[in-house]
Amino acid sequence: MIDALPLAVTLPLLGACAVTVSPAHARGLGLLAAVLTAASGVGVTAAVWSDGVLRVDLGGWGAPLGIALEADGLSAAFLVMANVVALAVSVYAGGYFKSESARHFWPLWLLLWSALNGLFLATDLFNLYVTLELLGLSAAALGALTGTREAVAANLRYLLVGLLGSMSYLLGVALVYAAYGVLDIGLVAEAIEPGPIAWTAMTLMIGGLILKAALFPMHFWLPPAHANAPAPVSAALSALVVKAAFYLALRLWLDVFAPVLNEAAANLLGILGAAAVVWGSWRALRADRLKLLAAYSTVAQMGYLFIAFPLLAATPPGLARDNLLAAVVLLALTHGFAKASFFLAAGMVQKTAGHDRIDELGGAAQALPAATFAIGLAGVALIGLPPSGTFLAKWMMLEQAMILGLWWWLFVMMVGTLLAAAYVFRVLSRAFNREPTPYRFVNDARTELPALLLGLIATFGLGIAAQPLWALLEQGAFG
Amino acid sequence: MIRPLEHILIPVGLIAVGGLLGWSFFLAVTGEAGERLAAVALAHVPDSGVSNPVTSVLLNFRAYDTLLELAVLLAALLGIWSLGTAGSGFQPAASVLDGMVAGFVPLLILSAGYMLWVGAYAPGGAFQAGALLGAAGVMLALAGHRNAGLPSEGRLRLLVALGVFVFAMTGLLLMVVGDGFLTYPRGLAKWLILIIETAATLSIGATLAAAYLGGRPAAHPKSGEAT
Repeated sequence: MIDALPLAVTLPLLGACAVTVSPAHARGLGLLAAVLTAASGVGVTAAVWSDGVLRVDLGGWGAPLGIALEADGLSAAFLVMANVVALAVSVYAGGYFKSESARHFWPLWLLLWSALNGLFLATDLFNLYVTLELLGLSAAALGALTGTREAVAANLRYLLVGLLGSMSYLLGVALVYAAYGVLDIGLVAEAIEPGPIAWTAMTLMIGGLILKAALFPMHFWLPPAHANAPAPVSAALSALVVKAAFYLALRLWLDVFAPVLNEAAANLLGILGAAAVVWGSWRALRADRLKLLAAYSTVAQMGYLFIAFPLLAATPPGLARDNLLAAVVLLALTHGFAKASFFLAAGMVQKTAGHDRIDELGGAAQALPAATFAIGLAGVALIGLPPSGTFLAKWMMLEQAMILGLWWWLFVMMVGTLLAAAYVFRVLSRAFNREPTPYRFVNDARTELPALLLGLIATFGLGIAAQPLWALLEQGAFG
Repeated sequence: MIRPLEHILIPVGLIAVGGLLGWSFFLAVTGEAGERLAAVALAHVPDSGVSNPVTSVLLNFRAYDTLLELAVLLAALLGIWSLGTAGSGFQPAASVLDGMVAGFVPLLILSAGYMLWVGAYAPGGAFQAGALLGAAGVMLALAGHRNAGLPSEGRLRLLVALGVFVFAMTGLLLMVVGDGFLTYPRGLAKWLILIIETAATLSIGATLAAAYLGGRPAAHPKSGEAT
């Protein structure tokens, strides 16, 4: 009996052990572990797709005594995105890091991957805290790998902010356990009832998570940390790590705190999200460096995801709400692919040009058609042009906002989209300066192809072929 | 001059956080204690292979949490190592301190072994034993022993990864033979827990001592200084 769920967590753990013990073969062993892990992650999603919700009681005790792993449609959707992006990042990193930094990158990276898979599959509130700790610690260490003063300072701040977020979450978990005596998400959801304890626990837990998800105005740590990390790490941090915090906030919102929610909390998250969209897009437009632009764009894109909370709260259960939930997940997944693609391509540009100042990118960007094309594709998905997944998702969110008569969210999303178009075209216009025609489309297959493939998935894959997501989410995610 | 951020926003924010903490504490203390898991856990202790309830929770009921905790320790050490090599350390201690350390370190190692064994039925276990081993390493480092008595980098890497490796492999092997991930068969539970705890003790001790050095072990410890 081989359960795919524990495999998705333990394979990267074993890989991390292997590369720790044998740093001389870090790249080969790391890539092997990456392929196996991605296969197990995709395998879990395929199993959920065909057989429905999967659940494994670790140790055979079962909740409430033991810990269970569970994959439903929501976790499977995030899991497959994370594993595909992480595999692409691994392939890219295989060529990006040279011997000395590769020794440090691979074990931390596999630990981070293990934490991600563990977080998406966890059903136990305390177990989720442990995965958050592992995620935050390995993410901050990876972000500081460039070793520059700015990177170390930014990631030390990231570490401390992450710890504060985890502590706040843990305090909420302690309150829940003190009041209800269980930790399994399903059992807590059955026991919870409106009251001061539930409200305080919700504030503490969601508050800690939005700090980790960099929701405005708690985004201050993100741009320097993500912009100063090595390119593959930036891609993973922006595409996956903040997304994991959002996933957990959404999971708690839908599954745990559903009985105690009120519109005020949802509206507060939505207002912060709206501010993040406007402020993040504006700062991205004003950024002078490519990676800083991408980092501020992440702040804005996380904002859209939180605008969904008031819409979800205002929509009665039914087909419209299911569609809205699927649209939010689609938006998160598309952003994962697109932002990873953007950062990987930006890393290639930075490596070739020796800098990533947008105003001076002219020749450098044009010398790398595949990387520039990847940035363009990612840009299409960030703006939300058809046929990207973002287009579909934003369209459905706008439609629902209009049906509900909540027109002000519509206004915010329009402004954000226009600003996104402005900052993407600002980069692309620099890339098409008067320079001689390039000789080759692809210059370095290992670094450019992962970026290109992720961009293609974000723009064409998730837009034209979004239908399967609805089928996947029917596995338990639609109430 | 009043700077709004430093004089108003930060104090107000801190007061709000303090109020929230006090409120949470009040809620947790005054709220009626619902049915907790302690009773369930105590009822299952006889099935867990060990008679110390804490060990049965850490290594059996919630063993998966402990596996990830060990991974957290490993991540912390790898993060420290990625930031550079360790400083040159302290100068060799004078004879009194050196003599005391020479007496204490073997005692600490012995106590660690005792803690590890006794954890099955009394307070103790891998984390306590590992902490004692780590303390032995810290003492050696304070007394001027380079690398805190830890082995060369190759073997040290093996030691720090051992806990996670043995834990995860045990879980996977149990799954492959059909019992389920980290589901110990009756009768074997005690020995499997002991094997995992032994590996974890070595890893925790080595990790704590290596973390105290504050960086990667120096590449070529001069002969005579290595222990």
